[in-house]
Parts: sequence; C-alpha cells; structure tokens
Amino acid sequence: MTAGGFWNRFLVPGALWLVLLFLVPLLFVLALSFGYVDDLGRAVYATDLDNYADAFNPTYFPILLRSVLYALATTVLCLLIGYPVAYYIARFGGRYRNALIALLVLPFFINYLVRTYAWVALLADEGLINDALVNIGIIGEPIQMINTPYAVIGGLTYGYLIFMILPVYGSLERLDPAVIEAGKDLYGSRLQTFLHVTLPQTKQGILAGAVLVFLPSVGDFVSAQILGGVDTYMVGNLIQDQFFAANNWPFGAALTVVMMLFLAIWMIAYLRSAARDVRGAAI
Amino acid sequence: MDAHGFDKPRFLRLFAVAVYFFLFAPILVVILFSFNSIKSLNVFDGFSLQWYEEFFNDPTLRDSLFMSIEIAFLTMLAATVIGTALAIGLVRSRARWAPGANILMLVPLVVPEIVAGISALLIFSQVGIALSFWTVVIAHITFSISYVTIVVRARMASISQEVEEAAMDLGATRWQSVRLVLVPALWPAVLAAGLLVFAFSFDDFVLSFFTTGEESQPLPVRIWSAIRFQVSPTINAIGTLMMIVSLSAIALAVLLPRLFGRRESGLKVLTAQEG
Repeated sequence: MTAGGFWNRFLVPGALWLVLLFLVPLLFVLALSFGYVDDLGRAVYATDLDNYADAFNPTYFPILLRSVLYALATTVLCLLIGYPVAYYIARFGGRYRNALIALLVLPFFINYLVRTYAWVALLADEGLINDALVNIGIIGEPIQMINTPYAVIGGLTYGYLIFMILPVYGSLERLDPAVIEAGKDLYGSRLQTFLHVTLPQTKQGILAGAVLVFLPSVGDFVSAQILGGVDTYMVGNLIQDQFFAANNWPFGAALTVVMMLFLAIWMIAYLRSAARDVRGAAI
Repeated sequence: MDAHGFDKPRFLRLFAVAVYFFLFAPILVVILFSFNSIKSLNVFDGFSLQWYEEFFNDPTLRDSLFMSIEIAFLTMLAATVIGTALAIGLVRSRARWAPGANILMLVPLVVPEIVAGISALLIFSQVGIALSFWTVVIAHITFSISYVTIVVRARMASISQEVEEAAMDLGATRWQSVRLVLVPALWPAVLAAGLLVFAFSFDDFVLSFFTTGEESQPLPVRIWSAIRFQVSPTINAIGTLMMIVSLSAIALAVLLPRLFGRRESGLKVLTAQEG
C-alpha cells in the first residue's frame, strides 16, 4: 500500500461520522424549512416559502434582530472586559501567567445553567444585591434587574467571556515586548503606542474572539429564559418553542436557516482563517 | 518587569481583580447557599447538608447523575479515538479531499449548539430512532470530535515524521510505527483532550435537551426543568456536585499529561499552545 493510502484511512471514521451525523442532518434542516405541518400535526416536506415569509413578518423579525443586537452588545462587552485582563496577564503575569489563565478558565467548566442560575439569586428583586443596597440605604426600593435586557446581555457576557480572553491572550503572548518598547520610542505616548502597535498586532486574536463570542450568543436561549422574560425573547427561545411547545418543526427549521444566514459571513471568515492556520491556535 | 508603560499596571491590576471577582462571586454564592439550613437564597441561616441529602434520596436525580457520567465517559472514549485518528489523518494525508475533511471538522466549532441539537433531533426522528441514552451519546460524540482533533493536531505539529521513518528503517511496519512511536508521543494531548471532552459532555445542556428521551434524562436537563419551576437550594447542591465532577476531570486533564509528557503542563496542551 502507498503511504498516501495508509494515512487516508485515518480520515475515514471521523469524516464519515461528521458527514452522516452533522452535514446530512443540517441538510435535513434546510429541506424541512420549506415544508409545512399537515392537519394531523405531522411535519411534511414541500417547497413552500411560507415559513420564510413568516420569519420576516413583524411578529418574529424583531426577535431575530434583537438576538443579533444582544449578541453584538455581548461581543463588545466581552472585548472591553476581556482585553485588559488578557493584556494584564500577558504582560505583567510573569511566572504566574499560566496559573492566572487557569484560574480564569476554571469557572467556564461549571455548568452554564448553574452559572446563569447563580445570577438569579444575586439579581432578583429580593436577591443579594438588592438586599444589600436597601440595607445600606443606597436605594429605598429594590431595583428591577432581572427580566431586563441588561440581565440577559450580562448573562451572555458571563457565559462567553472566556472565548474572547483566550484568543486575545494568545495573540498578546506572541507579541514581542521589544516591539512595544520600540513603539514607545517611536510614538512617545502610551495611547499612541497601543493604538499603532499593540492593537493592530492583536487584530487576529480580537477577530477570533469576536466570532467565538458572537456565534454562540446569537443562538443562545438559556440566558434569555432564566434571566429574561417575554420582552427579551431571543431567536433561540423561538426556535426551541417550535420544536417543543408549538410543534411546528418546519417553521423552527426555517428560523434556524435564517439565523445561520445572519451568521454565515462570520462563520466563513472564521473557517477561512482557521483552515489556513493549521495549528488551529484560535480555538 | 515594566512598571510604567501605557499599561498602568496598577489600574490594570485593579480591573483584573474586579473581573476575577465578577467571575467567581456568583459561583461562591451557589456553593454557600447549597449548605443553607433554611430554604432561602438570600438569607444564610446556618450550615446543613439537608439539600445534599434531598438530592441523594431522590432516585430520579441520582439516576440522572449516573447517566450524565456514563454519557460523558462513552463520549470521551469514542470522540478521543475518532478525533485522534482524524488529527493524524489531517496532518499526514495528501488526499485531495483532506482539505474538505478539515473544513468539515471545523464547522461544528462555529455552528451554534442549538443548530446541532435541532439537526440531531431531526435526523433521529427521520430515521425512526427513538430518543434515548444512546441518541444523547451520539450527538455528544459528533460535537466533541472536533475538539479532540484540534488539541491533538496542535501536538502533531511539534512531532517530526522522521522518528517514525527511523522506526520503519529499523524494521517496524507502518502501522507499528504509528502504534509504538506516534501514539505515545501524542498521548499527553490525547489524554488531556479526552478529559476535556468528558467535562464538556458532562456539563452539556443544549445537545442533551434536544436528544434525550422522556424517561431518563441527564442531570443538566433536570436542572433546566427545576429552574423553570422553582428556585431551591437543591439546585445549588446539584450545581456544587456537578462542579466537583467537572473540575476533577479538568484537574486530571492538567495534571496527568505531566506524568506522561516530559515537563509540559496539561494547560498548555489544552489551550493548544505550541511546545
């Protein structure tokens, strides 16, 4: 057997598994999105565009838009919070760098539901934060924090922050400190050095982080369910409803396809850079 | 260390401390109130283990815990074998369709989990497979292969093919050179990736939610139903127990590769850094 034939065999199980259980099912979702529900409540394949018309009608389209806005806000927040922390660890962490990153990663191995639920106890009208603020006398009445867009976006930020920090940290760590020193000599001010030297050099990390935060945020339904209310419904909640409550799978499939179209540019951009980077360091 | 720069370390340090606090405070609150002696989530009255007792006295919840562990274990085994083979193939194969396999491997990482959940649910129902323990395992494996491949492939990059060629010059077959030279060299990454997958699978809610049957459900799915109906310290107790399981897996993922690998930390392997 040739060497080539030998190595190809290693690809077969994984490639076959992903084609049959990932790619083909995705095509089924696409196919069903053109279908409808018959009188007996069964999903039927067809070639209708009705579901897509529904997805863009005034009842549902705002929910799609809201999901994208929440996810964008989450991405910006993650960058604003994550970049300085990654920067601090990469430049000033010294020999504690690995330990500091490990400590940062730790909370993300705790169940996402439990972490989101944790915020309920803190933010509720009779939660710890309101209690403390009332007791100190800063506020007279509890402030409504739960069931607000802020709570949902905060929950998403808390959930996905690490996906921003790790790639940004990776790109900062690769950055030679001498380059920053040279930048200081050249530009003088710290801000100028940061804007002209550090920031451009870490662009790849920021983009990877933005994609890795944005994509799961758009499809999330946990944060909106636990920390939000009907007014903060996201497309994930809507899709999930079609499969479990409304029993309208074709419409759920169409919403999924529309959501994927919203995400397509980001996904393709990320896949292109990740496919080029054989090490896949941007995970 | 540079103590002046743009970087104003004092301000940055303060900011970093605040972020660590923001990350850990809610978790510490969950743990604290799991030991509360009264059914309250804002007044801590005294230490008690009653919520843990309640958990272990509830056969449904106990079964769910064991089910989650079994699912995670099977997912870990299957995804590690398939993902490692895929990583080896992607680096070594010159097949014309290998770049396609590479893209296919990356797609699950960028597709929101709800999409994967729905497509799994759809394919099972179309083929006529009833949702059960096994449908959850299959869905978890599908989603975990890519993680293993990424971690193992990062390790592959630092291994020279010449060592295998040397083994073959000494009379080893191609297959023996993989088994006796390549796999042992990859072992720290394989182990770390496997434990990472264990933790992912054990904690996973979305995929399980879409692919589990009615009778037995993994623990996160039970938490989901519980959170929607009530807020109770029992959930805190379940959450704390789940933390112990997944953090043990992560601790092993960081520590075990050290025993096998020369002096590298599992953390480095996991974050797919070079070296």
